[in-house]
Amino acid sequence: MKFRERIRTLSSVLVLMTVACPSWAFQDPLDRPATKSALAQRSLLNAVARAGARLVVAGQRGHILYSDDAGKTWMQAEVPVSSDLTAVHFPTSQKGWAVGHDGVVLATTDGGESWVKQLDGRALGQVMQEYYASFEGKGIDARQLEELRAAALRFAEEGADKPFLSVWFDSETDGYAVGVFNLIFQTSDGGKTWTPWFDRTENPEQLHFSSIQRTGEGLYIAGERGMVLKLDKEAQRFRSVSVDYPGTFFGLTGSEQSVVVFGLRGNVFRSEDGGAQWHKVTTGLNVTITGATLTEDGRIALVSQRGDVLMSADNGRSFTSSPMAQALPASAVAPVGTHALVLVGTRGVNIQPLKK
Amino acid sequence: MAVGTNNPDVMPVVPSLKDFDSSSGSWLERLLFNNRLAVMLVCLIATAVLGYFLATQLVLNASFEKMIPQNHPFVKNYLANQADLRGLGNAIRVVVENTEGDIYDPKYLATLREISDELILTPGVDRAGVKSLWTPAVRWVEVTEEGFQGDPVMADDYDGSPQSIAQLRQNIARSSTAQNLVGNNEKSSMIVVPLLDRDPQTMARLDYRSFSHTLEESIRTKYENAMDGPKLKIHIIGFAKLVGDLMDGLAQMATYFVASALIATAIIFAYTRCVRSTLVVVVCSLIAVLWQLGLVSALGFEIDPFSVLVPFLVFAIGVSHGAQKMNGILQDVGRGTHRLVAARYTFRRLFLAGLTALLADAVGFAVLMVIDFPVIKDLAITASIGVAILIVTNLVLLPVLLSYVGVSSTAAERSLRLEREESRGKGFGKFWLFLEHFTERRWASKVILVAAVLAVGGFVVSLNLKIGDLDAGAPELRPESRYNRDNAYITGNYSLSSDQFAVILKTPPNGCVDYKALTEADRLGWQLRQVPGVQTTVSLADSVRVVTAGLYDGSSKWLTVARNQETVNFAGNQSLINNPDLANKECSIMPVVAYLADHRAETLERVVQAASEFAAEHSVDERQFLLAAGNSGIEAATNITVREANRTMLLYVYVAVMALCYIAFRSWRAVLVAVVPLVLTSILCEALMVLLGMGIKVATLPVIALGVGIGVDYALYLLSAQLAYQRSGLSLAMAYKKTLQFTGRIVALVGVTLGAGVVTWAWSPIKFQADMGILLTFMFIVNMFGALVLVPALSYFLLSTKPVATPIFDGEAERLVA
Repeated sequence: MKFRERIRTLSSVLVLMTVACPSWAFQDPLDRPATKSALAQRSLLNAVARAGARLVVAGQRGHILYSDDAGKTWMQAEVPVSSDLTAVHFPTSQKGWAVGHDGVVLATTDGGESWVKQLDGRALGQVMQEYYASFEGKGIDARQLEELRAAALRFAEEGADKPFLSVWFDSETDGYAVGVFNLIFQTSDGGKTWTPWFDRTENPEQLHFSSIQRTGEGLYIAGERGMVLKLDKEAQRFRSVSVDYPGTFFGLTGSEQSVVVFGLRGNVFRSEDGGAQWHKVTTGLNVTITGATLTEDGRIALVSQRGDVLMSADNGRSFTSSPMAQALPASAVAPVGTHALVLVGTRGVNIQPLKK
Repeated sequence: MAVGTNNPDVMPVVPSLKDFDSSSGSWLERLLFNNRLAVMLVCLIATAVLGYFLATQLVLNASFEKMIPQNHPFVKNYLANQADLRGLGNAIRVVVENTEGDIYDPKYLATLREISDELILTPGVDRAGVKSLWTPAVRWVEVTEEGFQGDPVMADDYDGSPQSIAQLRQNIARSSTAQNLVGNNEKSSMIVVPLLDRDPQTMARLDYRSFSHTLEESIRTKYENAMDGPKLKIHIIGFAKLVGDLMDGLAQMATYFVASALIATAIIFAYTRCVRSTLVVVVCSLIAVLWQLGLVSALGFEIDPFSVLVPFLVFAIGVSHGAQKMNGILQDVGRGTHRLVAARYTFRRLFLAGLTALLADAVGFAVLMVIDFPVIKDLAITASIGVAILIVTNLVLLPVLLSYVGVSSTAAERSLRLEREESRGKGFGKFWLFLEHFTERRWASKVILVAAVLAVGGFVVSLNLKIGDLDAGAPELRPESRYNRDNAYITGNYSLSSDQFAVILKTPPNGCVDYKALTEADRLGWQLRQVPGVQTTVSLADSVRVVTAGLYDGSSKWLTVARNQETVNFAGNQSLINNPDLANKECSIMPVVAYLADHRAETLERVVQAASEFAAEHSVDERQFLLAAGNSGIEAATNITVREANRTMLLYVYVAVMALCYIAFRSWRAVLVAVVPLVLTSILCEALMVLLGMGIKVATLPVIALGVGIGVDYALYLLSAQLAYQRSGLSLAMAYKKTLQFTGRIVALVGVTLGAGVVTWAWSPIKFQADMGILLTFMFIVNMFGALVLVPALSYFLLSTKPVATPIFDGEAERLVA
């Protein structure tokens, strides 16, 4: 009796709901602009970059914010997608790029205030298929070409499920976006056209790339299983200079003299010879190091998932922990003026003063 | 429609039974009074039988389901999906505090385990859903170079050693579920105990009172006073505990009933100065209460915190109506009539009048039936039963009893003397003389002006009347009650508030791990987080983000809902292992829970609006967003229902009262005169609620209905007499003067006894009963003065000319003329 009543109630509710609800199609994050929210600056942010004097941060749900007063107040940018964003980079104070999940690449020409979509995951596979269908590039054999075509087909079939995890532009025309499963696209025209560079990486296992960055001395990619690649300028290929370490590198940084890669469980490695030899650096940390930056006075700053800040004044040979007023989980870091760092992470923006 | 007539020719003084024609009077009168022994016997048997039911079947209880509006869509959605929303329904939270250290004390943890085990084994507990540091469902998850790791927070090999304590500390640090179970100062931890509203085997409803007592005895008392182990304090909150505490408060109401009864007895005695008749009135009213309780027990009703108030009302109404009977009998006996004849005369005069007045009271109760809360419906039914019983006990049994015991002759003479004195303006008469001024233009205008100012002022204040509960904690109980102190401790020391508002997302089976469903759930959560008053939201989508990041070395860049189905499947399953409350077993129902900073009506309204808009925009056949679950979801539904019920109930009660008045007076002008004082009191009552910081809630709904339904009695007494005098040719001033002389005391008596019946509630440990007591006392007393002052003033303007219609109570008036 009770049961029957419940069923009747349930079905009448269902009928009501079906009648009452207009059938709105699901709006894909790639088609849904980011919404403005006062909470954005206190919610997950994955990336921070300097656009001249301006700070620009990017994070979940297409949130991009910028600040012209050293992080005191933030404005939210107009962003055409609500995909989770993972990285942002500005080669000049006006032109910048941001990348993220759903294979999205966004570009700005006004210092980060408004963004347009240049590429998304739904188009990646097609671009790859067209490119590799008539591929005559050097340095690969027929078997490798077959593999590339298979990868292109897979990308086309699987749709927008592959994220870019890092972006780097050497100038306002030349840049790279990298991500999972050997995902790498290159542009020489400021993102008008993007070229797959899957054939130019020494990444036979198709591991994920976490970070691409130029240090004083070269353009590096860091990724899974100790992978480090370095651009061979002559050959225009990324050659392996990997570290003997099984874990994932989250990023890299460096000065004129050295390159430093970092990742899980406080692991930091350093090379002074362009990646030929790597030396483990003791950090005393057991948590993931997530981000790094160079301060204006040339020091290297590392931040951890727990919110630690490590500083090195000797090009990464040694690091000392810098006491912070408030330790919040950090994902990325950038300098603010000469005496402070901006950290971003799961709880948003956190400005930390820096001791000399 | 004359009730009877009181012409001395028809009701002569009959000192001896021999001179009385026992075949006179109506058929009903002859039936009852010529068979007095049979009537007594029937009542005796009824008392014995109903007393037996009262003694054996009276149950105190209140269930979660009975206190919520059953027909509100939110509640229907919730009830339809209740079984799949574990952890959102009826749960209690037990916080075990170590007052001499922190939770990382092996002795504390050992005791915590005992408590946790004991709670799991307590009847009524949904065992699989219990969460504590000791239950295996509370897990940690972490990422290493080797991949993904997770285990119960309390390791299998925990042995209380410093190493395993250190391990526990580390496990808690990496488990968000465990962190929510640990107090911010690490001095306490929480055990979440979901309850089953009905026993799955017997289908018997959970007895909250005995459950609450079990908690007090086998948890709080036992562990707070344990000899070994650290000094503990136990804090318990949750609906079941609240209801249990309310039940204990209910038991105390018996004391208050005794107090009310004594006060009423004292008032009656002061009025009659006759022990015999006082006893008869009180005994008859007590018999009415006994029958009422016995009958509702026999019919299977349970006594809840609302219906426990009915005996008070029945007793108060019984006493005040009974006292009126005394007036007539005392006077007849004073004039020398035999007690049996006096009793029959009283019955003759007052049966129909009393019946009408009791029916008017019943109207006040009956309109409560329109309110969609089972507790209020029960209140309406049980109170209507009580009033129906009063017709028998106070209109039949009381005069029959009086015909046996009679009244004291000194009291009877005193009654006649007092009436003569009052009519000459002595004693109370001075007050009545003063009131007569209100039939003069000068005073009437002033009174109307003052009333208008009060009405406007009261109305302006009452615009600030809020809906819902205004205080933190459980507003049913007083702020200093143990429950609310426990609640304050838990609110102050735990990050997640106990005010949860959940939207139910319904998908086809296995749809909870669909990318679109998770993305929409995530969007809803984000939307709700924008609403002021929402602290945070929790849904499967949040957990999926975290587990997905775990799959990718814990990188925050992977805190996302992945499109890759394998990734989502893994993340979803892992999430449900870590926290089974995030979706049902079929993976077709997942709640999006908003944790609110408070449960004030405005907060709830904002959340409801945001959630409704989202649901309307985003619901499709395969993804339906249904409002609402969680205690705040139900409370939102309650507020909405209360707001509507308040309007419809006011409308109904006034329509009913006006209809009744029209039937009685046959004049719209008279209806206006009767109703305007009630309206003024209703407005002032709402203003008083604002001043006392009360919101409109389930408990205050019955107040105005009862206040108006019972309060109209005054106008009925006054106006019926006044109209009768006016009809017989007297001027308004003379008519009112005579009315006051003969009914003023009755009006005052009714007001004071009704007030006495409810004023003791003000000391109830249950806050809403205290609120109701204060408001009802206010309504009864202010209605009385409103009637005495406003009726003449309004009459001056509306009823100065002689009414044509024949009022129903002319019999009573004629008696008074005589």
